[in-house]
Amino acid sequence: MELSDALPLGELAAAFASLPVFPLFDTAYFIVSVLYLKYEPGAVEMSRKSPFASWLCAMLHCFGSYILAALLLGEAPLGYFSNNSSVILATAVWYLIFFCPMNLFYKCVSFLPVKLVFVAMKEVVRVRKIAAGVHHAHHLYHHGWFVMMATGWVKGSGVALMSNFEQLLRGVWKPETNEILHMSFPTKASLYGTVLFTLQQTHWLPISEANLIFFFTMFMIVCKVFMTATHSHASPFAPLENLVCPVLFGSVSSGHPGHHHDHHGASHEVSHPPPPPPPPAKSKEELNEGTRKRKAKKAE
Amino acid sequence: MDLWQVPLLFSRLPMFPFFDLAHYVASVVALKEQRGAVEVSVRSPFACWFSAMLYCFGGSLLSSLMLAEPPVSFLAKSANILLASSVWYLVFYCPQDIFCRCFSFLPLRLLVAGMKEVTRTWKIASGVAHADSHFKDAWLVMVAVGWARGAGGGLISNFEQLVRGVWKPETNELLKMSYPVKITLIGAVLFTLQHSQYLPIARHNLVFLYTIFLVIFKVKMMLTRCATSPLAPLEAALGHVLFGLRKAPSKVKGESATSSNRSSICDRPSEQHHDGVKKRQAKKTE
Repeated sequence: MELSDALPLGELAAAFASLPVFPLFDTAYFIVSVLYLKYEPGAVEMSRKSPFASWLCAMLHCFGSYILAALLLGEAPLGYFSNNSSVILATAVWYLIFFCPMNLFYKCVSFLPVKLVFVAMKEVVRVRKIAAGVHHAHHLYHHGWFVMMATGWVKGSGVALMSNFEQLLRGVWKPETNEILHMSFPTKASLYGTVLFTLQQTHWLPISEANLIFFFTMFMIVCKVFMTATHSHASPFAPLENLVCPVLFGSVSSGHPGHHHDHHGASHEVSHPPPPPPPPAKSKEELNEGTRKRKAKKAE
Repeated sequence: MDLWQVPLLFSRLPMFPFFDLAHYVASVVALKEQRGAVEVSVRSPFACWFSAMLYCFGGSLLSSLMLAEPPVSFLAKSANILLASSVWYLVFYCPQDIFCRCFSFLPLRLLVAGMKEVTRTWKIASGVAHADSHFKDAWLVMVAVGWARGAGGGLISNFEQLVRGVWKPETNELLKMSYPVKITLIGAVLFTLQHSQYLPIARHNLVFLYTIFLVIFKVKMMLTRCATSPLAPLEAALGHVLFGLRKAPSKVKGESATSSNRSSICDRPSEQHHDGVKKRQAKKTE
C-alpha cells in the first residue's frame, strides 16, 4: 500500500510483525494461560493431589493451539513439544505459579498493572499465531479458504476450543456446553481475526500482512486490557451483532411456541431479549472473576 | 558365553510369539476381571473383542495418534491380531472356562506376568527410538511416545471403558496413576535419558536391568498380594518437598492428598488386583 508505506507506520508495523516472540512474549502468554488455569475451580486441589495432571493441564493451556492446529492438518500433535526450551519455560511458569513458597510469584503476576502488561503481551502472541496459522495452511492448501480460517481460528483460541477435553483431564465432564455453543470473547475475536487474515492472504483485503497484524493486535490489546481492568464481560462485538444477527438469522421471540431457540452463529447470547442475563456457562472469563478472590484467599 | 553378553542377547530376544502371547493373555485376563466385562462378552462379542484389542494394542494406537501416523497401523500386523483374537476367544468363550482355570495356577501366572514386563520394556525402548526418528532431540516427545507405547492400554482406559458402555469421567489414569502406568513413565524417562546420552549406560544393559527390576517387583507384589508400590516412600518424600503433598495416615482408602498409587490400587481393579476379583468372576461365569 503506497499510503501506509509513505507513513512511518509501515516501518513500525513491519518491525512489530518481526518482533521475536520467544522468550518474553511467550513467557507472558504462558503466565496468563496458567493463571487462568489456576482460576478454574478445583485446579489448586488438583495440583496438590496430582501434580502430573496439573502439569499436563498447564501444557494444554500453553500449547493447546499448536496441538489443535496439528490435529486439523494431520501433523503430529506432539510436534511443537520438540521445542525443549518452550516446554521447559512453560513448566517453570507452571511450577512457580502453583508451588512458589508463600505464593509469591502468583501474587506478583496477579497485581493488576503487571497483569495488564502480561495480558497485552499475550494478545500480541495470539494475533501472531493466527497469522502464522493462516500462512501455514495457505502453504498446504492454496485455495482452501475454510482450511485457512479453521487453522487460524484454532491457533488463536487455543485451549478454549478443547475445553471439554481439558476439563475431562481434570475429571470434570460437562457435555451440555462447549466453547462453540457459548463463545467467549477471545474465541469470537479469533474467529473474526482469522476471517480477516484469510481475506488478506487471498488478496481480497488490500492491506499488507504486517499492517493487519499491527492494527488487529492494537484492537485486541485495547479490548482485552479494558475488559480485564474493569472485570467486564460485555463483548465489544455486541452492538454490531445486535444489529446484524436479527437481520441475517432472525430474532428469538420468547413467547413464540414454534420457534427454534438455537440459532447457529456466534451470537447465541446476544439474541436474547434485554436485559441479557449472563449465559450459563460463560467459561473462563466469568469463572475467573468469580473465583479469583476466593482462590486468592485460598492460596494464601 | 560370557556373563556380560547376557544383557546383549536378552535385548535381542524376539517378542513374537511367546512374549507377545504372554502379553495378550495377561491383558485379556485383566479385561475379563473388570466389572461387567463378561456381560459385555455375552451381549456383544464384537464390543468385547474391540475392548480386548484396545487392551492388547492400546499402546501402538496411542503412540501412532501422537505422531500422526495411521491409527489403524496396528491392524496391519495380521499375525499378532490373529494371535490376540485367539487368546480373546479362549479366555472368554472356552468351554467350562478351561483356559482361565489353567491360568489360575500361580506359577503360570507369575511366568506370564514376568514375560509381560519384558514386552513392556521392549515397547518403551522401541517407542523412544521411534520418536527420535521423527523429532531429533525432542525429550518430551520421546518420553511421551515411550510412555504411550509401554502403558497404552492403561492410559486410554477411559475410552476403552466407553466401548463397554462405562463412562467414568471423574477419574482417569493421569489424575490417579496406577502402578504400571507410573512405572512405565519412569522407564520412559530413563530410556530417554539414555538415548540422549545423559545416562552413561549402554542400551542393552538398561533394558536388562529395568526388566529385572520390573519382573522382581511384579512377582513380589503378586506373591505377597501387597498393593503398595516399591516407589511409594521415594514418591512421598519427593512429593512433599517439591509439591507440598501431605502424607496422610493410611486409615481409610478414600481420596487423600497422599501419593496416589496406594489409593488407586486399592480403589480400582487394576491388573495387580487379580486374586480377590478373580474368584468372584470365576464363580460368576460358571
